[in-house]
Amino acid sequence: MTQGTLTFSLPRRGAALAVLQRYGVYIAIAVLLLYNLFFTPNFFALDNFRTQFVQVVPVLIVALGMALVIGTEGIDLSVGGVMALAAAVIPLYIGYGLIPVVILVILVGAFIGLVNGSLVALVGVQPIVATLSLMVAGRGLALLIANGQLKSVTDPGILAVGRGDLAGVPFSVIIAVILVFGVALLVNRTTFGKQLMAVGGSRRAAELSGLPVKRILLLTYVLCSSLAAVAGVIGTARLGASVPSTLGNLIELSAITAVVVGGTPLTGGQVRVIGTVAGALLLQFISATLIKHNVPDAYSQITQAVIILLAVYIQRGRTATK
Amino acid sequence: MNSTQKARSLTGTVAFIAAVGLALTGCTNTGTTAGNSSAPETQQTVQAASGPTCSLDQYKGKTIDLKNAIVGFSQSEKEDNPFRIAETQSVTDEAAKIGVKKFIKTNAQSTLSKQISDIQDLISQGAQVLIVAPLDSTGLEPALKAARAKNIPVITVDRKLDSGACSNYVSFLGSNFVQQGQRAADQLIKGTGGKGNVAVLLGASGNGVTTDRTSGFLDQMKAKAPDMKIVAQQTGNFDRATGQTVTEQLLQSNPGITAIYAENDEMGLGAQAAIIAAGKAPGKDIQIYSIDGTKNAVQQIVAGAYNGVIESNPRFGPLAFATLKSFLAGTPVGQGIVISDGEYDPSNAAQKVDSAF
Repeated sequence: MTQGTLTFSLPRRGAALAVLQRYGVYIAIAVLLLYNLFFTPNFFALDNFRTQFVQVVPVLIVALGMALVIGTEGIDLSVGGVMALAAAVIPLYIGYGLIPVVILVILVGAFIGLVNGSLVALVGVQPIVATLSLMVAGRGLALLIANGQLKSVTDPGILAVGRGDLAGVPFSVIIAVILVFGVALLVNRTTFGKQLMAVGGSRRAAELSGLPVKRILLLTYVLCSSLAAVAGVIGTARLGASVPSTLGNLIELSAITAVVVGGTPLTGGQVRVIGTVAGALLLQFISATLIKHNVPDAYSQITQAVIILLAVYIQRGRTATK
Repeated sequence: MNSTQKARSLTGTVAFIAAVGLALTGCTNTGTTAGNSSAPETQQTVQAASGPTCSLDQYKGKTIDLKNAIVGFSQSEKEDNPFRIAETQSVTDEAAKIGVKKFIKTNAQSTLSKQISDIQDLISQGAQVLIVAPLDSTGLEPALKAARAKNIPVITVDRKLDSGACSNYVSFLGSNFVQQGQRAADQLIKGTGGKGNVAVLLGASGNGVTTDRTSGFLDQMKAKAPDMKIVAQQTGNFDRATGQTVTEQLLQSNPGITAIYAENDEMGLGAQAAIIAAGKAPGKDIQIYSIDGTKNAVQQIVAGAYNGVIESNPRFGPLAFATLKSFLAGTPVGQGIVISDGEYDPSNAAQKVDSAF
């Protein structure tokens, strides 16, 4: 009899968990929006959503790259360091114009990614260790380049990236949407995307089946760092200042959280791009809600921690059954 | 007629009380001392020092000539913000000016354990005199005890240690952070006419500077402008980007905000960017007040897009060495020496912008 109830209740609980795993982040967003609809003044105003979307862009772009790296069962802690480097480089070369400076910054990011990727793929250093060293070195180098100073950025081109818009849609949001589509296509429609997930699923199996594992890993880290560099440009543009000492500080945590909350398992083999977007938006709405309700800092930190724990707990089942 | 007379005598009384208050706190408003305002205004001046003093005998130190001394300086935080850069520069410059035998500096990179070992290193490198910018109000005791054991005089600057004046260290030089908050409130009340809604951008949580600047500001607001409403208090972590993000959120949900108090200039400048993004005029539609005195912020006052800055003078070099000199010569020095900080507003920003750091 007890056995009967057990077998009866298990699939139901399993089904509920599966729904939470698959749609938890969307449900959470819906609940938050509903709460804000009733309890937050001016939340459902166009301007407010504009603010939320503009603010989420840097985290979202970094999270896209992070999702790719996590898909290979890796992690990239150096993204904040890359953003700092981007911030440091911009004022030095902005004299050459917007496009050259953006290309240069992305190249700098790509180079850091190449170092990360080489350490992981060729030397065999664990991703967390390899990228941890570049997280520190990146910011250190940025401070060295900038001489520790923050500088105002007044170039109208770069300010437009942060503050301008096209038909009412902020440029930074347009860039983010394009990148989301790009990464989604890469993951779901290209050989590289499939290979990337194969490497994350089982590196050994991928190697045995003749995939160019090292090249895939290198390229993934290069992509992640390049995306972080773009986030650094947008962050600097939005601020109207190059602040290498703090730009992108702790952004790796937000990005990893967005990816995991969005349903990409830390054990690799899967990349959920739209889930990542939702994860980043959820974090944004949470922080907006806490600020708008004037919740003291200590409580908002605890709240965020609880949400992360909850997300990881829900994902736990998924990783176990993989 | 009668009422104007009354009003006049009232303003007279207020002015008198203000003058007495200024004299009592020894708060020299550098703006009014027109005579030497072009002189080195960047130099720190001391507020009327009262309270216990410390002498060479009490400290059981020995007379040293600074010119023949090895001087160590332990900086607490990374030199990646204007305050720390200016502070280290000032101490370094003054050491060179005096011509000390050897000047060694270290940076603890915001890590307490590193500052302890930094100070121990300085001692083992033969430092005879130490200037320390403590990372926190407690925790340096092991290092200070090591200095004490060798009777090395230690002057602490900018952050006050909880205990141990004239025993673990000679004296403390620094600003009164509570007073800075009060003065920012005064500026804000004056600028807004005591009306409107205020948002507060707090510094990093759990930091003594944040606590003091907050309590000074809030108490003064409650006392002097009970009609003004504090609609939000959110941390901006002393960081420009966070200040911007938080202000954007607050402006959306509280369109009635008319003034912002930021506990450092960087957050104030972030708030300014947020106000511009919201399509409003900073300094006019929404006023901004902050504490620090960085060039970036003072220039914005000159440009009319910022309303007031209370200075927190980081140039400790001259005062620290002067204090050391008189202490080593046998003159008792105050255990707590509070410096008087300047302030910037639209009336003086243009002429004083060069003294900003």
